Amino acid sequence: MADTLPATRFNPWPATIFTILCVLAVLFLLPTVGVLLSSIKTTREISMGELWSLPASLYLGNFAEVLGNPAVHQYFLNTLLVTLPATAVSITLGALAGYVFAKLPFRGSNVLFLGIVAGMFFPPQVILVPLFRLFNGIGLIDTLWPVIIVHSALGLPICVLMMRNFFATVPNALREAAIMEGASEWQVLTRVVLPLSLPALAVLATLQFTWIWNDFLWPLIFTQSDDKRTIMIGIVNLKGQYSVAWGVQGALSLVASLPTLLVFLFFQRFFIKGMTMGAVKG
Amino acid sequence: MEQHNRFWRIALLSLPLAVFGLFVVWPLLSSFYYSFTNWNGFDPDYSFVGFDNFAKIATDRLFLQAAINTTIWMVAAIVLPTALGLMLALLLDARVTGARVFKSIFYLPICLSAVIVGQIWTWIYQPDWGLLNTIIAQVTGETFKYAWLAKPDSALWSVIVAWSWQQTGLSMVIYLAGLTAIPGDLLEVCEIEGASPWQRFRRVVLPLLAPSTVVVVALSVINSLKGFDILYIMTGGGPFNSSDTLAMHMYNESFKKYLMGYGSAISVVLFLIALAIIGLYFRQLRKVDRIYG
Repeated sequence: MADTLPATRFNPWPATIFTILCVLAVLFLLPTVGVLLSSIKTTREISMGELWSLPASLYLGNFAEVLGNPAVHQYFLNTLLVTLPATAVSITLGALAGYVFAKLPFRGSNVLFLGIVAGMFFPPQVILVPLFRLFNGIGLIDTLWPVIIVHSALGLPICVLMMRNFFATVPNALREAAIMEGASEWQVLTRVVLPLSLPALAVLATLQFTWIWNDFLWPLIFTQSDDKRTIMIGIVNLKGQYSVAWGVQGALSLVASLPTLLVFLFFQRFFIKGMTMGAVKG
Repeated sequence: MEQHNRFWRIALLSLPLAVFGLFVVWPLLSSFYYSFTNWNGFDPDYSFVGFDNFAKIATDRLFLQAAINTTIWMVAAIVLPTALGLMLALLLDARVTGARVFKSIFYLPICLSAVIVGQIWTWIYQPDWGLLNTIIAQVTGETFKYAWLAKPDSALWSVIVAWSWQQTGLSMVIYLAGLTAIPGDLLEVCEIEGASPWQRFRRVVLPLLAPSTVVVVALSVINSLKGFDILYIMTGGGPFNSSDTLAMHMYNESFKKYLMGYGSAISVVLFLIALAIIGLYFRQLRKVDRIYG
């Protein structure tokens, strides 16, 4: 964005600005670099106070420990089992509702739409106790189901918002033409509108994947036994086992962040767009 | 045609609405119901206690502490990331080389989970070999072993800094989006007319960024009401509840002490605060729209 703007913007000193930005960038990167450094150092090195220096040699034992730990495999599997279905379901439901709000509006549909979108703003603590009681009552506590279900439902505000806004940009004439040709609304949605909405789908997939993967609260409330925990809870659980093995903790954090980091690097454009769109339109 | 439309509205909307109603709206309403009971989380039996839970809130010292902390957290979470984000956006908007790389660096923390951010910053504050103490020791030349997260004086603020580190990128991109909407000619004219950079910023850029500021501030407030994960990881609300927030307090009362009725009452208060802020936000947004839209 910034590199295509006309020359005269607020601020006349490019070299100074560049220097300031470099300093800030280093400050911003330091915390992350610390984790990177810890993961390739031995516990001895770290406790000797050498975490923040460049390593003399590359030590891979921490990663071997993390990747060889069967509990970590289970955490990863659980997180995938939650993240993938919840992402898919929330986007699908968002597309269904978004289509109606954009193409088949009715009396009061705007109020309904705003009501759903408002769900984005509330602290999740507000629905904690009743949901716990509900899932406890039907015996789903300590399974992955409540986590999947709640993420699918809580993803709706942002998904409905973005799908509806994107669908609104698809010309109505396209839908009408397809209907005239004898297509059903379902066919219009799946064959005409959705294929045109790939950018919106990409934005949502990136956002939802990242949020659900990173979530801590819901798996904390709904799961109890170790083999049902997701990776973010797992990290906290393993803190006891690796209490002073700082390097292993660092490696574990890196491995756990890898999926979201990769998603971020590859889909940065979509991710940032989603964050701003969701924020500005909301 | 109208009948056709009605059929498809029902067909397409029923599933999303059912899911949203059952797992978001209904629990929200039940929270109000449970806030008038003394349910303990396990017993099928519970009784109505009227306004007892709300009366308890009024006398709960820990609630007061949590409310004060939430306010501090909220104000800091507005000021720090907003100011920093605005500064970064202005710097990046000045056509610097490598703007894209810088942007990604400042934005990266947003995609990390609260657990990871908490872990990273716990290490920065680590008393023996943490980065902060190491730097202070280097600068002063004396050994420095302050336990930032274990002292009531510094725990909350230490977490706030970590939180701001993560959130700055978000306000930065929102401001960047706002800045691209300001026409370059306008600033050019100001420059020709002899306005100093500060005047241009204060009198032109900042007022035109008002819509972005509304969004950034509202998001900061809302996100800070949700402040839970990072506190849970870094301090657990301690030491001596010095870093407890309302979200944290609600969790502790409901899931540590199993006072789910009381926890619900706290969540109702949290809900009402959020509602007031959202109302204010939408009103402000409309006002900004009217002036600048």
